Amino acid sequence: MRSDELVDCHVLVIGSGGAGVRAAIEADQYGDTVLVSKTIVGKGGCTPMAEGGYNAVLKELDSCEGHYEDTLRGGAYLNDPGLVRVLVDESPERMADLIRWGAVFDVDDLACVAQRPFGGQRFPRTCYAGDRTGHEMMTTLTERMADTGVETYQEVSIVSLLQHEGRASGAMGLDRDGEVILFRSDSTVIATGGGTRVYDISTNSSSGTGDGYALGYRAGAEVIDMEQIQFHPTGAVYPYDARGRLVTEAVRGEGGLLKNKLGERFMTCYDPERMELSTRDVVSRSIATEILEGRGTEHGGVYLDVTHLPASQVESRLPVMLEQFLKFGVDIRTEPMEVAPTAHHIMGGLRIRPDGSTTMKGLFACGEVSGGVHGANRLGGNALAETQVFGKRAGEAAGKAAVHSRDHDPAQVEAERKHLDEYFTGTSEPAGVWNKLKLSMWEGAGIFRTLPALEQTRSVILHLQSLQLRAVTAENLVECCTVRNMLTTASLIVESALLRPESRGAHVRKDISQAWTPETSPFGHTYLSTSCRGIEKVSR
Amino acid sequence: MKELTLRISRFDPKKDTAPHFENYTVNVHDGARVLHALHAVHDDCDPTLTYRYCCGTGQCGSCAVRVNGQPVLACMEEALEGITVEPLEIPVIKDLAVDLLPYINELPIICPVSTEAATMPAKDIVETMKPLRSCIGCMACVSVCPALSVSDFKGPTSMRQEMRLSLDPRDKKDRTAEAVNGGLFRCTSCQACWKVCPKEIQIPGKAIEKLREVAHFKGHTLPRHAEVAALIRETGRSVTWTEPSLLELTAEVMEPYGPVKKTVGFFVGCMYNLRLPKTALDAVEVLRRNGFRVVIPRDQICCGSPLIRTGQTEYVDTLKARNIAAFTALGIDTVVTMCAGCGSTLKHDYETPFKVIDFSELLAETGFGSPAHLGLNVTYHDPCHLARGQGVTEQPRTILRSLADITEMPSICCGSGGGVRSGFPDEAAALGQRRGDEIKKTGAEMVVTCCPFCEFHIAGHTDKPVRHLATLLLKGYREQEKSGT
Ligand SMILES: Cc1cc2nc3c(=O)[nH]c(=O)nc-3n(C[C@H](O)[C@H](O)[C@H](O)COP(=O)(O)OP(=O)(O)OC[C@H]3O[C@@H](n4cnc5c(N)ncnc54)[C@H](O)[C@@H]3O)c2cc1C
Ligand code: SF4
Ligand code: SF4
Ligand code: FES
Repeated sequence: MRSDELVDCHVLVIGSGGAGVRAAIEADQYGDTVLVSKTIVGKGGCTPMAEGGYNAVLKELDSCEGHYEDTLRGGAYLNDPGLVRVLVDESPERMADLIRWGAVFDVDDLACVAQRPFGGQRFPRTCYAGDRTGHEMMTTLTERMADTGVETYQEVSIVSLLQHEGRASGAMGLDRDGEVILFRSDSTVIATGGGTRVYDISTNSSSGTGDGYALGYRAGAEVIDMEQIQFHPTGAVYPYDARGRLVTEAVRGEGGLLKNKLGERFMTCYDPERMELSTRDVVSRSIATEILEGRGTEHGGVYLDVTHLPASQVESRLPVMLEQFLKFGVDIRTEPMEVAPTAHHIMGGLRIRPDGSTTMKGLFACGEVSGGVHGANRLGGNALAETQVFGKRAGEAAGKAAVHSRDHDPAQVEAERKHLDEYFTGTSEPAGVWNKLKLSMWEGAGIFRTLPALEQTRSVILHLQSLQLRAVTAENLVECCTVRNMLTTASLIVESALLRPESRGAHVRKDISQAWTPETSPFGHTYLSTSCRGIEKVSR
Repeated sequence: MKELTLRISRFDPKKDTAPHFENYTVNVHDGARVLHALHAVHDDCDPTLTYRYCCGTGQCGSCAVRVNGQPVLACMEEALEGITVEPLEIPVIKDLAVDLLPYINELPIICPVSTEAATMPAKDIVETMKPLRSCIGCMACVSVCPALSVSDFKGPTSMRQEMRLSLDPRDKKDRTAEAVNGGLFRCTSCQACWKVCPKEIQIPGKAIEKLREVAHFKGHTLPRHAEVAALIRETGRSVTWTEPSLLELTAEVMEPYGPVKKTVGFFVGCMYNLRLPKTALDAVEVLRRNGFRVVIPRDQICCGSPLIRTGQTEYVDTLKARNIAAFTALGIDTVVTMCAGCGSTLKHDYETPFKVIDFSELLAETGFGSPAHLGLNVTYHDPCHLARGQGVTEQPRTILRSLADITEMPSICCGSGGGVRSGFPDEAAALGQRRGDEIKKTGAEMVVTCCPFCEFHIAGHTDKPVRHLATLLLKGYREQEKSGT
C-alpha cells in the first residue's frame, strides 16, 4: 500500500463558498479546523458569482413573519418550516457579522444598508453590493478567515467521504497532481454547493457539479427533494458557448421589462399582478412557453429591456451586467438583452436538522448542498442568506461535537484507491460522457417533465454509468471522479422526479393533472438514500 | 461552428526545462471566448492541458492568461484565429496555470474585527471604496508591474487594498505606514497595472497617489522628493538652471516659415526647458516648418507632475492656476506638449479651457511635411505617460516610419518615473538595465522616444544614442533640404 499524506483535525470543512468559509470561521473557535476546496478560496463556487443580493429583514416596516410567509409561499409549501424560521430569524444577525467584518454593501443616505425588491417578496428586503453581492461577501469572508487559525488545502478535490465505526470520519482528496490526501476529523461539514452543470444550460461555476450530493449519498446520508431544480428565467443566449450565463434578477428588480419578439409584455398573460417580479418558476415557464410557441427572438430567447431606465442607474446598479454584455457586443443602455431560462439552483439536497447535522453521524451540511430551506422554489436572495445562517450553525455544531479517535478504515481507502486506478484503463472520455448527460438532462428532466421523458433520461444515465471513464494521467483522475458525481447527482434528480406524482413549484409534470394546490397537496418531501426511497405523505 | 487555430504555451516543470509552443486546431461556435477554445483543446485534442477557470463570466479572476502578449481574462476575451495563449508572467505551476496564492495571501486584511454594533460607513465613503473593492484577484496587474519585478514592492493590488482599508472607519490600523513599508514610493506610476485590469481599477491614480498624499501629510515623504518640492516652490521649476533655458533661447511668438496654418501654445516642461533645451528647439523648429505659429508663454512653470506623483499636492493648485492663466491670457486654444509626463498631467490632472495635444498627435492629426528617410534602424521606446497615460502609440510610429525602419521591443517602463529615479536609484537602475537589454536584442542603432525622463534615464543604460522624435524628424527635414528635392 502506498503511503498517503495524512491530515488530522477536529473539523473538516469541504468547500470554500459562502457556506464553507462561514462554517470554518465558526468551527475554528472550537478546535483545529481544516478547509479543503477544489478551487482557490474566494474564487470557486457560485457565491462569488451571486449578483443580486441577500435577503434580511432590517426595517421596522418589514417583519420576519413576512419573510417567513413569502419564503413558504414561494417554495410551494414544500419547505421545512423549522429551517425557514431559522433562516428568517437569523439572517439579519449574519448580515451584521458581515458588516462587522468589513463588507461594503450599498447604503442609503442614512448609511443604512440599501434594499431592493426581488421576485415573490412583499417588501424590498434584498441587500446588495451593486451586482457583485456574492463577490463582496466572499471577499469579506476570505479576509476574515485569513485572520483565524483555519488551515486551507486549496485546489484539492474530495473524492469520497471516509467512514469509521458507523460515522463520518473525514474525507479522501486528490491534489492537482492526482496524489491522495487523507483528511481525518471528528466532524465533517459538506459545503460543496450546487450542481446544475448536469444540465446543458446552466449558470453554475466550474464546481457546480453536484459532488456533495453524490459524496453524501454514497456515504449513506439521505437527500430530499432532488427533483426541485430552479430554472432561472433569465440566462444569456449569446454567444452560444457562454449560454446560460446568469442575467441577474436585479435587472428586473431595477425595472427591466420582458417582451417577446412582437414587443408584447407577455407577463400580462401569466401573472398580471406581479408581472416581471413574479416567482422564478412562473417567469421561467412563461418565457419557455413564449419561445415554444414561436414568439422568441433570433437567438432563441425573449427580450429583457432596461433601455427605458436612466443610463446612470444601469451604470451604478448593474455594472457587471453592463460590462459583460458590452464585451459580447450589446450595450444594454440602448439595446435589449436576449434571455432564456437556464438551470440555476438545486433546492433539494442533504437532509439537515436546524444545526446542520445530516442523517449520518458526524456529517454536517450547509449551503446549496443541503435541502429543505427553499422547498420547491427558491426566492432570489435567500440562498446567500442561507449560506451564512446555516454555515454558522453547521460550523458551530461541528465544532461543539465530541472528539473521537481519528482513524480511518484501511480497507475503505484501499477500495477507493482501486477504483481510482481503474480509471487508467478506462475507455470513455469524461468530457464526452458529460456532454451526453447534460443534453439528456435538459431534454428529459428540464422545465417541463413527463413520465416517458424522465424514463428515457434515466436509461441514458444508466447507460453512461456503465461506461468506464478514462484518465490519461493522474491529473485527470479528478475529472473522472467529477463526472461520476454528476452521473450520481443526475440520477438522484431523475429518481426523485419519478417519485413525485404531482406538479409542485419548479417540478412540473405535464402529464399529470391534480386537484390540489401546493398548500393542500397530500405530499411532502421526496427522499432517497442507499437504503430507502419514497415520498412523504402529509395529512392535511 | 467555425474552425480556429491557436498556439498555446505548454510547460510541465516535472518534465520540461523550458516552456514550448504547441499548435491546435479546434471547432468552436461563433463568438466563442478564449476559454471555450481552451475547453475544446482539452476535450478534443489534449486532455493534459492545464488551465484554470471557475465562473466563466469575468467574476472570479481565475482565468487570466496572456493572449498575443496581453493579459486578459480567458473567459471574456474573444477567441480569434491564430492567437497565441501564454500564462501570465508570474511563476507557472503548469501550462497556463500560475501560482496566484503567494500574491493573494499577501493582501492586507481589515482589523481588528469589531465587536461593536454593526454600522456601515457613510454613503460617500462607501461610494469611494466600491471601485477599489471590485478586484477579482486575477493578478494581471501584478504580472505587469515593473516595480514589483525588481524590488520588494508589494504590488498594485496590495496598494489598492491598503487604500480601500485606509478609507474604512471600521479598520483601525495605520495603513499609510504599512503601505510605505510595502513599497508605496517604489511605484513608477507607469500605468501598466490598471491598463490590464479587467475591472479597470485605477490603482496609480485612485490608490497609490492618494496614499502618497496621506503619507506626505503624515511625514513619510522621501528627502529627495521633498527637495524637489522645495525647488518648485522656490523657482517654479523641478530642476536647477545649468544652461540657457528654452524660454531664454526663444521669443514668445515664433512665426512659421510660410503661411500660418494654425496657432498653438507650447508647453515646454522643466526638463526640456532647462536640461534639454536643444531638443525643445528642434520641436519648435519642426512645428514652424509645418506651418504652426508657436506661442511660448513666458509665465509657464512646472506642471506639477513631480508633486502629484509623489503625493506633495499642497502647491499643485497654484501651479495649475498659473499655467492655465499663462496660456489663456494669450488666447491659446490648443497647447502642444512634448514631454509625456507634462502631457498626461495637463490632460488628466488639470481641467483646462484649452485642448492639450502631444507633439506627435498634433502632427499625425494635421499631417506633416515628409522628411528624408535616414536609412537608420531604430527602436521606439513607448513612454508610459504617452502610451498608457495618453493612449498615444500609433502617432509617433507613423512619423517614425517615414524616417527610419523600426524594430519593436516590448512596451515596458524604463524605471525613471514616479519619483523612483530620485527616490530609489537602485530600482530605477535595475529597470533601466532591462531596457538596455531589450534595446540590445533589437539590434537597433538608435532609440527614439518622446519623453525627457525616459531619454535621460535610458541613455544611462545603453550605448546607443537616445533621441526625441522631434530631433530625428528635424534631421529628416535637413537631409531632405540637402538632397535638394
Ligand atoms: C450566477 C449565480 C448568481 C446567483 N445569485 C444569487 C443571488 O443574488 N442571491 C442569492 O441568494 N443566491 C444567488 N445564487 C445562488 C447562490 O449563489 C448559491 O446558492 C450559494 O452561493 C451557494 O453557496 P455554497 O457555499 O453552498 O456553495 P458554492 O459557493 O457554490 O461553493 C462550493 C464550494 O465547494 C467546493 N467544492 C465543490 N466540490 C468539491 C469537492 N469535491 N471537493 C472540494 N471542494 C469542492 C467548490 O470549489 C466551492 O469552493 C446565485 C447563483 C449563481 C450561480
Ligand atoms: S503604475 Fe506601474 S509601477 Fe505602479 S503599481 Fe502600477 S504597474 Fe506597478
Ligand atoms: S486590481 Fe485588477 S488586475 Fe489587479 S488583481 Fe485586481 S482585478 Fe486583477
Ligand atoms: S473564469 Fe472567472 S474570471 Fe474567467
